[in-house]
Order: sequence, then structure tokens, then C-alpha cells
Amino acid sequence: MKTFPLRIGTPDGLLFEGEVERVFCRTIMGDLEILAGHCNFCTALGMGRAFVVLPDGGKREAACIGGMLSVMGGACSLLATTWEWKEDIDEKRAGEAKKRAEKLLAQGGLTDQEFKLAEAKLKRALVRLGVKN
Amino acid sequence: MAANMKAVKLRIKSVQSTMQITKAMELVASSKLRRAKDQADACRPYFRELYETLQEIAEGNTDFTSVYVKKPVQETWCYVMLAGDRGLAGGYNSNLFKALEAAAGDRSFVALPLGKKALEYCRRNGISVLTDQFAEIADISVADCFAMAKLLCREYRNKTIGHIELCYTRFLSMLSQQADVISLLPLSDLDRKSMEEKKRIRNLILYEPSAEEVFDAIVPEYLAGLLYGGVCEARASELAARRTAMESATSNAEAMIGQLNLYYNRARQASITQEITEIVGGAEGI
Repeated sequence: MKTFPLRIGTPDGLLFEGEVERVFCRTIMGDLEILAGHCNFCTALGMGRAFVVLPDGGKREAACIGGMLSVMGGACSLLATTWEWKEDIDEKRAGEAKKRAEKLLAQGGLTDQEFKLAEAKLKRALVRLGVKN
Repeated sequence: MAANMKAVKLRIKSVQSTMQITKAMELVASSKLRRAKDQADACRPYFRELYETLQEIAEGNTDFTSVYVKKPVQETWCYVMLAGDRGLAGGYNSNLFKALEAAAGDRSFVALPLGKKALEYCRRNGISVLTDQFAEIADISVADCFAMAKLLCREYRNKTIGHIELCYTRFLSMLSQQADVISLLPLSDLDRKSMEEKKRIRNLILYEPSAEEVFDAIVPEYLAGLLYGGVCEARASELAARRTAMESATSNAEAMIGQLNLYYNRARQASITQEITEIVGGAEGI
């Protein structure tokens, strides 16, 4: 299958650079998969499972949260706020974050801001756990 | 002569104690610098990629539905200034302010200062400040950058500011840093190509679901990402500038002490010679 160059960057560094067959991720309007030869394209990323398929058929999964995806002249760049490869996810930490957020939400009596924050934390933890398992 | 010797001795002591301070500051700066440099190096590809992608989008863009893209009605400017918290870093802070003044010209602008020196500068020059909540650049985290981006977006959408620019010091190497001003918003400011050039190359871009929604979603994150990248660079630049400044201060102090020691010895010798002459003169008189 044809391949195309992909770069995955986060504020913590460039996490991936090289040729891939496909890249799959969740955008603000649903799941999306980019193949080689895509036209110029730009969209914003949501929260969810993502994976790339390497030319040798290997698949690497990751949790992807926020950011943007653009294809320019055949090259794809995925700039995420958070991108964690499956093997790098700290399951224990995500589990604890989930419990904490759930407790906060169950308690109630939060201000709007706090509620949003707790909800976002819970979502992030769920995405991480979902990818890990 | 004895009085002269004492004065020189005192001066040597004072230079020595200054040297101790500059030496200590140099060591502190270089140990902190290593971490800051690693952070800046890690962040730089993201920073560059993000800016270049947005620049390409701005060049190819033909859609002006989003407020973040179209030319603003009001010509008010906001400069995000990334300066240091402390002085004694050579020309680090003043170079930044000079670059800012050159970029701003006669425009009136508001500022979002990061770093105590930037805040002091704004107060001194009567520049109105969006918020002084982020005055300490050493403590800025990713979450702070998101908060700042949100604030800037809100002001931008409320149309209190029409252009946002970032004023920071680029970390070129351990020995050279350069103050620079880059445009952040609106995206049409990022497009530096002339209209004729644009007519020849026009990359049409597909936005999904729509350009407006895409820009509304990515602009706050783009701002936060660029701010964080800028903060990392600025921190590394400040420490590198301080290290170089302190290094030269220490070597200057060393040279000065050497010179003063020569003076001291000369003065000592002169006083001994004088005493001998006096004794000999006195003995002859008897």
C-alpha cells in the first residue's frame, strides 16, 4: 500500500516522524482515517483512541487529546495537545484520576468552572483507560 | 603610602566579593540552563511545526467566515511580552524591549507581560496591561498557557484587541539569542506573501466540518501551544544570557584583581624603599 509522511508533535517533543500507511484518530465531528494521497485538509481533534499503521503492517495505538490535524501537499502533521502511546500510558495514574473526578462529580455542589474541569479530567482518564485495555 | 596600600587592599576585597557573587550566579544559571535547554529543544519542533502549518493555512486560505481569520475592523494591538524575572542578564531584557519598540512604532497597544521585568517596563512606560497574573515567567506551566490563550481569545472575540503579537527571545545557541516579534492573530497577519505571489500558488484546503468551526476549535490551542513554546525559548535564552554575562563579569573581576595586586605590590615596595632611605638618611645624620 502507498505510504505518506506523518509527523506527530506535542509540546513535549516530536513523538513520531516517518512514513505510514494510515492514521486513524477522533476529530470534533467523529472518527477519521487518513490514507496516502489525501487532498489538503484541516480539522480539529477531539478526544479518543488513535492509531497509526506502519508500512510493515505494524499498528501502534495511542490516546489522543485535542489539537489539530492537517494535510498539506501530501504530508500529514498531527499536532496534539496530548498524545500518549499505549505503552507509555500510566494505568494506575489514570485510574486514580478517574476515581477522583467521579468522586468530585458525585459530591456535587461544584461551580461551573470546577464542574467543567472535573468532567474534562474524567474524560481524559476514560480515554487513557480505554486505549490501555 | 600606607594609606594608599590600605585603599588598594580594600578595593581588592570588594572586587573579590563581587566576583564571588557573579561566579555563584554563573554556576546557578548554567545548572538551570541545562534543564531549560532540554525543555526548549523538546518543544521547538512542535512550536515550529505549529507555526508553519498555520502559516501555510493562512497563505492558502480563501475562507473568511471565522473571526480568527478575517482582517479585524479595529486597529488595536496586543503584545505578549516574554521577558525575564530578574536583571543581570546582559542585554537580554533591554534587547527585547528595543525589539518591541521597533515593532510597535507609534501604535498604541496593550500588553500581556510575562516576567517581572516586562511588568516593570509596562508600569514605567504607562502601557496598559491585560493582566499581571502571569508576572513570574519561571512558574508558567502548560495550564497557565491555556488560561492565557483563553483570555486572549475572549478579548479578541469581544473585539477589544484586533491583532495579537508575541515578543520573545529566540534561543539560537548557548552564546547567541535574538529578540523577535511574531504575529499570532488574526491568521491573515501570518501571511507575509504579496498578493501577486499568492495568485500563482493557491492551495485549496478542505475544512471539516467547516472552516469556522475548525478555527474556533484550534485557535485557542494554537495560541496556547505557541505561548508555551515561546516561554520555553525565553526561559532558556534568559539563563544563557545570564550565564554569558556573568562569565564575562567574573573574568573581568579576575583581570581587575590581577591589576590591583600589581598596584598593591608596587605600593608596598615603594613604602619599603622609602623606609630604608629614611633609615639610611637618619643614620648618616648622626
